[in-house]
Amino acid sequence: MECTYCEWRCKLGEESFGVCRMYHAVGGKVVERFPDRWSYTSSRMEALPFYHAWPGARTLTIGTRGCNFNCRYCSNAYVALADPAAGADDGTHIHAMTPEELVAMALKLDCRNIVFNVNEPTVSIPGLLRLREEATRAGLPMGCLTNAYGTEESTEALAGIFDFLNVGLKGFTSSFYGEYIGVRDVGPILRNLRTLARRRHVEVTTPVIQGVNDGDLDDMADYLAGIDPEIPWHVFRLLPEYEMKDHAYPSIDAISRKLEAARKKLRYVYFHNFVGSEWVNTVCPECGMEVVERLSLGCGGDKLEGFHCTGNRCPRCGRAIRMCGEYAPTADRATAACAAESEATA
Amino acid sequence: MSLAIVDAREWQNLLDLRTGKKVKDDDPRVQAPQTATLRDVLRRHPYPGDSDPRSNRWVTDSALDLVAAYEPQLACVVYGHQYFAGRYTPMTDVQRKGMMEELFAEIDRFVARSGYEPVVVGTGDMVPLEGEIDLGKLEGLAISSHWSARYAGLHRATPRDLDHVRSLAKVERVVGRDEWLAAFPDAEAVPARVPEHLLLAEEGWTFVTTGTPMRRPVRVPGRGFRIPLSTRLGAAPSLLDIRGLVLSGAAAGKKVALIVAEGVGMNDFLLPFTPCANQTGWHYYEPGDGFYLTLSTGRHQVFAYPSGYNYLDETDEKKDLPFSGYFLDFPAHALGDDFPGKSVAAGNHSMFVHMVFGADVCMECFARNLYNQGGFGVIHRFR
Repeated sequence: MECTYCEWRCKLGEESFGVCRMYHAVGGKVVERFPDRWSYTSSRMEALPFYHAWPGARTLTIGTRGCNFNCRYCSNAYVALADPAAGADDGTHIHAMTPEELVAMALKLDCRNIVFNVNEPTVSIPGLLRLREEATRAGLPMGCLTNAYGTEESTEALAGIFDFLNVGLKGFTSSFYGEYIGVRDVGPILRNLRTLARRRHVEVTTPVIQGVNDGDLDDMADYLAGIDPEIPWHVFRLLPEYEMKDHAYPSIDAISRKLEAARKKLRYVYFHNFVGSEWVNTVCPECGMEVVERLSLGCGGDKLEGFHCTGNRCPRCGRAIRMCGEYAPTADRATAACAAESEATA
Repeated sequence: MSLAIVDAREWQNLLDLRTGKKVKDDDPRVQAPQTATLRDVLRRHPYPGDSDPRSNRWVTDSALDLVAAYEPQLACVVYGHQYFAGRYTPMTDVQRKGMMEELFAEIDRFVARSGYEPVVVGTGDMVPLEGEIDLGKLEGLAISSHWSARYAGLHRATPRDLDHVRSLAKVERVVGRDEWLAAFPDAEAVPARVPEHLLLAEEGWTFVTTGTPMRRPVRVPGRGFRIPLSTRLGAAPSLLDIRGLVLSGAAAGKKVALIVAEGVGMNDFLLPFTPCANQTGWHYYEPGDGFYLTLSTGRHQVFAYPSGYNYLDETDEKKDLPFSGYFLDFPAHALGDDFPGKSVAAGNHSMFVHMVFGADVCMECFARNLYNQGGFGVIHRFR
């Protein structure tokens, strides 16, 4: 039978699993092959990256296995493209955990939300629906990183599960997606991006491969601005990995120059994924004040340095700054404990 | 004030190491000749990556370049490729042997070309992973920090948790906080940072806890009660004594190189060596901050960032030294701080090199979880 979770629309049987290898057909239904198996750790929102959602919050980041893309530069290939049937033998950690146990872990770690960020959520939608129910009971919002190659139906499901999403817009042409991502058509991605942005808080991430997709940056900016000029856009300097390990690192100066035009079209354009980036702070589009300061440590290490908004508004001119959720960093309990102990012994 | 230079390949940024803020062009540190020199050295040596076989060659080349530029009396050099690659890449015995031979060829090359008097220390053998002890379902919080294999900290453990971990066959021992503190009476400690309980895994076993890297290791540090030390400067009965050898060698007018070979113990050490104690009762240092800080300061540093401590509660905003990982401050009495002459440090263990040795000028890779971000330079002293 046909799988309707993503636009591959694979033909599934009990022993035929499609592109992502995460579903099969049993008793006339498409079901997960490996339900309730998760990886998890904790992280900061800025590291994922979400710059405009729950700033400074600690989050439980989770993932499963499998992906419906085959990006030639995948930085998570050892997880996302591993054979999900290999289980623990694939060289990574995966745990049998119920939704209740995942939520309990999030609460134990003082996480403010749960974000699916390791691989593509479309390959684990039934499990995520169950997790959403439990997270809702605990008052935990959920977010994800997605490549947006789902069907319209599963895109609606993602919008129902997740309160905030970071959509990977990896290119702007079908020829790019065909050569570098392994899918034929950019159309569904653009369609789903628009749908998701209408329903939920959306940020967009684009890895730039110099000489390959940097020429499309202006078109992408136009497209995003046409949806909503307030969409935060993360332009990533490609970190050459996997099949592109020997590819040159893109020039930071050259890409930054190319983004000048985009900065006039979109309110929040960031250029990072390299240590020491100078393009990670949020500037008030109205008065130019730096309202959120961040630090870039590269490859998933960004962190909040200062949040100066008042009620998600610029403290100088009062303009609303796009933000999903409030500034709510996890308390520095250990430092407080150390300080208390020092005081007690002084 | 220490200056940091980020080198992200063909692009550099100058930052204040303590605050992480960009340094303005008119800052005297930017104009200093040492800064221009280090920027050039970083440009000449793009980092190939932790797992890349050229990684240790990068260390030698960078260290030789630094030595030529600064003419220091002390050079601290860290070779880490075999630790990272050996930990995660399945290898045959022949491949491992070849990797070790290449490592020692690089050490030889550095020593031969620099002419420095070497003090070479290995951090201990790696052994095949036998299995993992999953602590994810405890009611309390278990943390095995910073790639530790043997140690995990337990926080807010319930009686049921303690019964459970004591029943686990591969947990060698459960050490209470007071017992641990008593084992190192002279080591400085902030007791609140020390886990309430420390779990010890049997050799070949490791813990899986919150924060455990997603990659599963194929080898982990083995029992490192004794480590190999190769030097002509004298005897060092324990890890604590190596610093003294370095300082006495320098006091005798020699140019000294303190060379660390990570993930190398007595089974793989290819130089003549004497065993050196890395043991206090049940405790030994794994290749991490405790090992390096003890080596550099000559004092036990077991509680500076205790194994299994809850680093999650110290990762929030406004932390000093944001480019220095979990380090909260500069360590006191680092070798470079107390060394009267000029010093440099170079190595491919990100973050450790510039923090633990306190050398005047430091150069290292900037890598996180094996992802290669480029190079990183620090100037602690402009002289």
